[in-house]
Amino acid sequence: MITGYLFYMLAFLLILFSLGVLMHSSPLFSSLNLVGSMIVLSAMYYLLQVPFIAAVQLIVYAGAVMVLFVMVMMMFDLKHEIKIFSGGFISNAIKCGLAGFFAFTIGATAFMSTEMISGSAKVKTEVLSVKSMAQLLFKDYLIEFEVLGVILLLVAVGAVALSRIKGGTHAS
Amino acid sequence: MGSDLVEVLINSVKLVLIFLLMVQLVPILVWVERRGSAFIQNRYGPNRVGPFGLMQLLADAVKFVFKEEFVPGKGHKLIFYAAPVVALIPGALAFAAIPLANTFHLEPFMFLGESWGPYDINFQGYNVGIGIVFILGVSSLGAYALLLAGWGSANKYSLYGALRAVAQMISYELALGLSIVGAILVYNTFDFHSIIAQQAGALSFTISGRELGIPFLPNWGIFYQPLGAFLFLVAAFAETNRLPFDLPEAESELIAGFHTEYGGMKMLMFYLGEYGHMLVASALLVTFYFGGYQLPFVSHVMIEDMLKSFGLGINMANVLTAFLFFTVFMIKCLIFLWIYVWVRWTLPRFRYDQLMDLGWKTMLPWALANTIVTAVVVFLARI
Repeated sequence: MITGYLFYMLAFLLILFSLGVLMHSSPLFSSLNLVGSMIVLSAMYYLLQVPFIAAVQLIVYAGAVMVLFVMVMMMFDLKHEIKIFSGGFISNAIKCGLAGFFAFTIGATAFMSTEMISGSAKVKTEVLSVKSMAQLLFKDYLIEFEVLGVILLLVAVGAVALSRIKGGTHAS
Repeated sequence: MGSDLVEVLINSVKLVLIFLLMVQLVPILVWVERRGSAFIQNRYGPNRVGPFGLMQLLADAVKFVFKEEFVPGKGHKLIFYAAPVVALIPGALAFAAIPLANTFHLEPFMFLGESWGPYDINFQGYNVGIGIVFILGVSSLGAYALLLAGWGSANKYSLYGALRAVAQMISYELALGLSIVGAILVYNTFDFHSIIAQQAGALSFTISGRELGIPFLPNWGIFYQPLGAFLFLVAAFAETNRLPFDLPEAESELIAGFHTEYGGMKMLMFYLGEYGHMLVASALLVTFYFGGYQLPFVSHVMIEDMLKSFGLGINMANVLTAFLFFTVFMIKCLIFLWIYVWVRWTLPRFRYDQLMDLGWKTMLPWALANTIVTAVVVFLARI
């Protein structure tokens, strides 16, 4: 009963924050809204009885990744960026086109998904404990998990390498 | 929430009390900080207002309330106001999830002409079920308060302070998290109650089937994870932005860092957040490495039985025991809070590159090594 009300409240907040991410002209406010939506998402995970994933969502995304995003945003000249982004015929045309495409996608998804829900697709309802999750990660999907780790490491090394290149756009 | 009226009432009162406990500890800590620094530097400190200068706190509170509201002209008003509030939330949420005393049992009792109970009451704001992971998650949000303050003030020094603070907090969060992993491996659980229960009695452990023990030492985590405890302590200093890691507000370089533009109640809320973080760090240290709310060698059943033998009722004995354990927990916490003050006025500040070197090149490898060695030992001991 209370859980149901909480779910709708959180879902409403989540939609609000997500719209904030899309609608704000300033990238800083967009990323702050994204932080809000991630915190709400973590609360929803907790409501769905996966507290560990909720906490990991908080630690990794809201607490580390987004902090770095916001930190980098603060070092830009945001007024300049907003000015470039929010003027001119071509950019307006692109924005209207994207908005139309977005609305079409949502409408099409809503239209198509009514049949999928009425089908016999069953949702797994078992509660995922930390232990069973660890067994999935480190036993059943070990190779995929490790490969993902290596890819992330490659991305990090690549980013460092790119930032050290002199020349190109960084030529002084 | 609770199943009936009394339980809901108790839970609500508990939440408010724990929040007030955290908030009310701050003025006392500020007084300890000032008098302690004076004591360490061979000065008097605030000693004019009331006995030992204690009334200075009230005078400060009045001053904070009546200070002028001020928002920098080029700053962003919403963010400027939001930052102090955000600073207060993580500490309060995290502290409410730490158990402050043993779970006590209430036999059925009469209240307002009706019979209520029996209840089992946690001396804890709420029990999330994943204990330490929740606290790490919530307190990692503390960085936003500093970022928002730095950006909302539209001040170079504030922004520098905020950026420094966030870089520092993210770097040391890794070492902090990894230093706890060793303890979690030893206890084999996330749950605080279980962690504290495992630290009862005298030091004893099993290695490959043989029982070893040292009867005169308590079974505390510090004896299993000395390196982890030390790394946790150091990382907690960095996370709370205290000296020797107070680069974010280094007054000789940045005026006051991220809270340069703040005054009055808004600055007080930053203080509350910082001391709240200190309190959470001390409470975690006590819970993980120093037996939590337990008295060494004495279980709560023993004290309850002793109180009952004095002729007290069961409920009264249980409540009194819980309060005794709560006092023990707070005393342990206060000892660590005093260590914070002591270190602040003893060690000088690091240079920024030294800080980053210490975080990434010293603490992280040691924490990793501690985790790996603990994992191997725990694996071998459980065969």
